[in-house]
Amino acid sequence: MSETAAIRGSAVASPQKRGEGLTATALIGPATIFVAVSLFAPLAILLRYSLNDFDKATKTMIAAVTPANYVRFFTDAYYTSTLATTVEVALLSTVVCLVLGFPLAYVVARTQSRFKHLLIMAIVLPLFVGNAVRAAGWMVIFGNKGFVNTGLTWLGLIQKPLEIMFTEKAVIIGIIAVTLPFMVLSLQSVIEGVDRAVEEAAFSLGAPPLTMFRRVLWPLALPGVLAGTILTFILAMNAYATPYLLGGPVFKMMAPLVYNTFTQQSNWPFGGAIAFILMAVTLTLTMAANLLIQRRGRAAISS
Amino acid sequence: MARLDIDRLAKRYGDFYAVRDVSLQVADGEFLVLLGPSGCGKTTTLRIVAGFIEPTAGSVTIGDRDVTMLPPWKRNSGMVFQSYALFPHLTVAQNVAFGLEMRKLGKAEIGKRVAEALALVRLAGFDDRLPRQLSGGQQQRVALARALAIRPDVLLLDEPLSNLDAKLRQEVRVEIRELQQKLGLTTVMVTHDQEEALTMADRLVVMSEGSVRQIGSQRDLYERPADRFVADFVGRSTFFEGVVEAPGRFRTDGGLSLACDDGTPGRGALSVRPERVGIADTPWTGLDNSLPGTVEFVSYLGALIDIHVRLSPRDRLIVHVANREGGFTPEVGQPVHVGWPATAGRVFNE
Repeated sequence: MSETAAIRGSAVASPQKRGEGLTATALIGPATIFVAVSLFAPLAILLRYSLNDFDKATKTMIAAVTPANYVRFFTDAYYTSTLATTVEVALLSTVVCLVLGFPLAYVVARTQSRFKHLLIMAIVLPLFVGNAVRAAGWMVIFGNKGFVNTGLTWLGLIQKPLEIMFTEKAVIIGIIAVTLPFMVLSLQSVIEGVDRAVEEAAFSLGAPPLTMFRRVLWPLALPGVLAGTILTFILAMNAYATPYLLGGPVFKMMAPLVYNTFTQQSNWPFGGAIAFILMAVTLTLTMAANLLIQRRGRAAISS
Repeated sequence: MARLDIDRLAKRYGDFYAVRDVSLQVADGEFLVLLGPSGCGKTTTLRIVAGFIEPTAGSVTIGDRDVTMLPPWKRNSGMVFQSYALFPHLTVAQNVAFGLEMRKLGKAEIGKRVAEALALVRLAGFDDRLPRQLSGGQQQRVALARALAIRPDVLLLDEPLSNLDAKLRQEVRVEIRELQQKLGLTTVMVTHDQEEALTMADRLVVMSEGSVRQIGSQRDLYERPADRFVADFVGRSTFFEGVVEAPGRFRTDGGLSLACDDGTPGRGALSVRPERVGIADTPWTGLDNSLPGTVEFVSYLGALIDIHVRLSPRDRLIVHVANREGGFTPEVGQPVHVGWPATAGRVFNE
């Protein structure tokens, strides 16, 4: 103990400092190398593939450097509409998630109940069930002869089954079920760090609840809002099982498209290009939202 | 500023009364301190006045306005929180301006009032700092300026000094008191620190277990405590357990026969303030009580010396001696004589 304290205390103890640096390197090194190799190497290979040609007849890749795959994607309405649908679904899911998640996160963050940990468990519980299993569950609920439709028909509220299954609605509901826990947990941890007395101070200074939220709670919760929306958006953009099972053969999103191109069509170059487009769009929109929210936050603060 | 009336206030959680039948009147410009141990209901009372807690029964009137059912943002009370509760994302000036913006004042008026409030707490020129760039004492003063800027009907202070270090606390409590007197602020403060309460208050309210035990001036509480709890909580006392044999005569369980002020026969406790007791190496004449004893503990506290004297196997007396040149300072184990007049002993019957 005293030795470490001495090392920490003296700024000129360079030999010991180097020792600490070596320890740190040894500790974070393996993970860094693993991430680098397992993330960047496949990406680099994929990027190279995406510039190759593809022979449809023999289903083989021909080495080349051509933007053809990217051009094909952006000139075919089928693909661009798939991208548009994906972005739309992801944006809608994220907004609904934020609107639904904030009050829930607030309640969890502020509750004095001794069952708080159970509440958090209940929020995390859905994550214990795999995406595919959960989507299968939604299919049972949404189907034409599913829980919702049989129930409503039996009650005499509808004559014809509602079309939920294989629509954007079903996919968005399915995605929200996956992403809501991430949103709630991100928000909850940040809201918990906001002193309750700060809200009370705003009230006592004459701010009604909505004004308090806009001027105090929202700006202070922004880091959590950012983390939550980014997580939700990325998860929704890349959702695979949910759109595949709940969207059906007609409703198209990017991740199933990438998978199909690779496996069904064996078209690795085009699959690689789609994967890169999906990644680039996700990153760009995430960063744009980041900047926008931060600027909004600053504007709200200084107004 | 306005007067504050709290009438038969109660707050019940299940079977537990956090506040029970509390009635207080605070005059215009008066500084009232709610004093008591933690969990005595003082903070709950203050939070009911601020509007953060809805009372189970009773009413709160500020000036001529019954505010019992009003939310906090319609009450015009200025609150200083224990944690200061400054808005961490706003500058000092923005913090102080917040309440004024809520009142939809013009920009020029807000600027003027912010400058006034900051000057009042001697923080002129700190406008653009963020709370985290200030020391604890400065943050505390921003919180005060923020509460004062809205010109509240009542100022509510919730243990405002407990996060400051001891030296600073002594300065700030004088500052707050002077400011309160200068501006004629109707003020209610909550504290568990009796020294703080004694320094700042016009009147004090001692609370315990949700109820008011005594309301009065410093002198009332110290010299005429209403019950044993108040005598114990305000200042220090030695309590002798025993029996009142006759009015003016008390026998301790340790067998000492003591002269006291009054009392009705029966079991009770006799309390004696430590500074009212004399200590010498010869017996006392002219005092109603003079007893031999042995010094068991001596503690040097600077301005005074704290001496514990064993009078009988079951009775130990605390004596405070002023630390002055040539004063009598016994050592541990030394035989001494202690003495006090009957009027210094107060009896609380059980």
